[in-house]
Amino acid sequence: MNARALTSQVLLGIAPIALLIGLWQAIDSLGYAPLSLLPPPGLVFARLVQQLFTGAFQQEIGVTLLRLFAGFSIAVILGVGIGLAAAASPSVNALVRPIVRVLAPLPKVALYPALLLLLGFGHASKVTLVAADALFPILLSTYYGASMVEQKLVWSAMAAGTPPRQVLFKVVLPAAVPSILTGCRIGLVISCIVVFLAEMITSSDGLGHLLVTAARTFQAVDMFVPLITISLLGLILNALLQAVRSYLLRGFPEV
Amino acid sequence: MKLLPLRSDIPAESTPRRGLAPAMIEIDRVSQIFQTSGRQKHLALSEISLTIEDGAFVSILGPSGCGKSTLLYIVGGFVSPTGGVATMKGKPITGPGPDRGPVFQEFALFPWKSVLGNVMYGPRQQGVKPAQAEAQSRALIEMVGLKGFEDFYPKELSGGMKQRVALARTLAYHPAVLLMDEPFGALDAHTRTRLQNDLLNIWERDRKTVLFVTHSVEEAVFLSDKVVVMTRSPGRIKEIVDIDLPRPRRRAELLLDPHYQKYVVDIEHMIDDTSEDELRP
Amino acid sequence: MISARAILSRSASLLACLGLLGIWQIGALILNTESFPTALEALRAIPSILGDKEALINILASLRRMAVGFALALVVSIPLGLMMGRSRAIASFFNPLLMIIYPVPKAALMPIIMLWLGVGDIAKTLVIFLGVSLPVIYHSFQGARAVEEKMLWSGAAMGLSALQRMIRIVLPAALPEILTGCRTGLVLALITMITSEMIARQSGAGNILFNALDMGQYDTVFAMIIIVGAMGIGLDAAFENLRGRLVRWSEPRFDIPLSFS
Repeated sequence: MNARALTSQVLLGIAPIALLIGLWQAIDSLGYAPLSLLPPPGLVFARLVQQLFTGAFQQEIGVTLLRLFAGFSIAVILGVGIGLAAAASPSVNALVRPIVRVLAPLPKVALYPALLLLLGFGHASKVTLVAADALFPILLSTYYGASMVEQKLVWSAMAAGTPPRQVLFKVVLPAAVPSILTGCRIGLVISCIVVFLAEMITSSDGLGHLLVTAARTFQAVDMFVPLITISLLGLILNALLQAVRSYLLRGFPEV
Repeated sequence: MKLLPLRSDIPAESTPRRGLAPAMIEIDRVSQIFQTSGRQKHLALSEISLTIEDGAFVSILGPSGCGKSTLLYIVGGFVSPTGGVATMKGKPITGPGPDRGPVFQEFALFPWKSVLGNVMYGPRQQGVKPAQAEAQSRALIEMVGLKGFEDFYPKELSGGMKQRVALARTLAYHPAVLLMDEPFGALDAHTRTRLQNDLLNIWERDRKTVLFVTHSVEEAVFLSDKVVVMTRSPGRIKEIVDIDLPRPRRRAELLLDPHYQKYVVDIEHMIDDTSEDELRP
Repeated sequence: MISARAILSRSASLLACLGLLGIWQIGALILNTESFPTALEALRAIPSILGDKEALINILASLRRMAVGFALALVVSIPLGLMMGRSRAIASFFNPLLMIIYPVPKAALMPIIMLWLGVGDIAKTLVIFLGVSLPVIYHSFQGARAVEEKMLWSGAAMGLSALQRMIRIVLPAALPEILTGCRTGLVLALITMITSEMIARQSGAGNILFNALDMGQYDTVFAMIIIVGAMGIGLDAAFENLRGRLVRWSEPRFDIPLSFS
């Protein structure tokens, strides 16, 4: 893509965001909203930048990120493991399928009170909730990716001397990676959302907790800051995942 | 019965001979019934009996749906026949193995591996040390005409190049038998003729046994020692034609050779007959 | 003569439910803490919840808000998504905006929205509306984009105007994808509803849950979980049924699978 096309694409991308911020500022400047309810964007971003350099705020980000990664990692390990097993073994499939069909549409956040009772109000309950929510998209993507691997790939590997029990790891898993990564992307977004929400519902630390605390003291600016932070975190993590995806899938044709 | 052409002595180059016993494929009254969705049974192959001698280039020719690919998959051990048995060197075929190497129409290259990675896969599976496997693979990649492309990924290659990689990948684990399932079917005509020539050149080096499935009469006659003509589904062997044309075969000469032309016309007639059998009430 | 196998496969989901309840029962008995009632105790608490007039009103109000938010979202999002799918300009305009909003947990906007709009139904319905809109827009967009150009050319040749082509060709062709988006939206509607009620704590099912938690009525907590779970499963099953009937002709696509089909 040449430079001019690229710049016009970037401009086109920034335009709506700039428009939104402009609208935001306009509402405030024209007095359509009281400043105590909708603080001007300049103020919010200034506060955001200020907070980012504060040790306490950084710690809160750290706590949220920690729970996010822990939950997401568990979801990936379990999801890929179970998904592969279900694709490879009909008996595992028969066991897993109905359980997933029952649990998948269930709003896992409804389990949160139960988790709080069982695991306490600290990290464990939140990490478990994140893992439970992120698990299903990853599991299902892995399962479908693994079960739709091209038959001839498996045959080629077997003819080359791969024993049947190794085929799962040498052929099916690598071939399913595009699908797995798609599931991981969804799982990552869900993890961001769920960790924030869990911290909002009940927590003593973390970004979600900051928002709720600010709400109770009617500090509008301090409410926007954690919200924007989690959104930015989500975007950054997503971009990182995309980078990993580009590297891992460098041999695969574009889908 | 025409005599098969004598095999000239060609020194084995990078491919060691696997024993001196003939790689005989014996297909004995093999049938295949498929269960289609909806409990219907479809007889794909009916009582196929065929002997394939060591070092022979045999084409299986027939209209679409006659089960020729299925027959190949049975020999490859990818599919179990519902009736009859296929054996190799006297031992029944129970599964895939490096003694029967496939080359598929869809290439089936591993997209997460480079060209070199794909070719090295077989030797590494056999336990060959990485350095040696790499050296062997590079030699093979050069032999199929892709020197310089070792680090490319399959998605960056054209169809013809992908098929060359697929061929190199299979040759890398030294199968005694090559199973080729319409390997040039997905390629344009020009690439197809180039690859046909290259295949023969490569084959001439060590004269492996080849089982080659195609629906192109010209391709079958050009490449093979024997052409097995099959009927429409349910597939049966209509006729086996020995191709007594001298090797090495040059396309330009052969196209003008009346013997070649007669083979093509005769076999095309046979195929027309099988089609007409269906249309007649 | 129905084989045992057929019976087993058809009742698999039911068996799974019973199995999970069984594991719960055993686990609770083993742990034997007051805060973890057994499955039976929780099940026994359900009738008292459903019998309590106030609780019932709360739950129905939740469902109502969900339905309204969902319907509004569909009315706005499907046309928007379809238009984005067919017009590059519209797509380029909205895309980055949506990508920014996507990772923001809509339920997290509850306090802010409450600050602006008070604690009534509007705030909660708005949050549900936002939550459902995004997947529906995305899937409508994808579905419209995938419609074959040639189908539209045929329509134009037959004399259909742009609007007619949109309604009579693009919409039906994109319908399978749109319905996938709706299914995601339905799941999100339920989640957003519960979560916003847990955060805002005024009324509704989520509120009942946390009130019971605060008051130590653990049976009620778990009973509500079962009720909400049943709602989720029931709504999903009903939707799948509807979807199957509406798009019997389509082939399944698995790019963002929600469950085993």
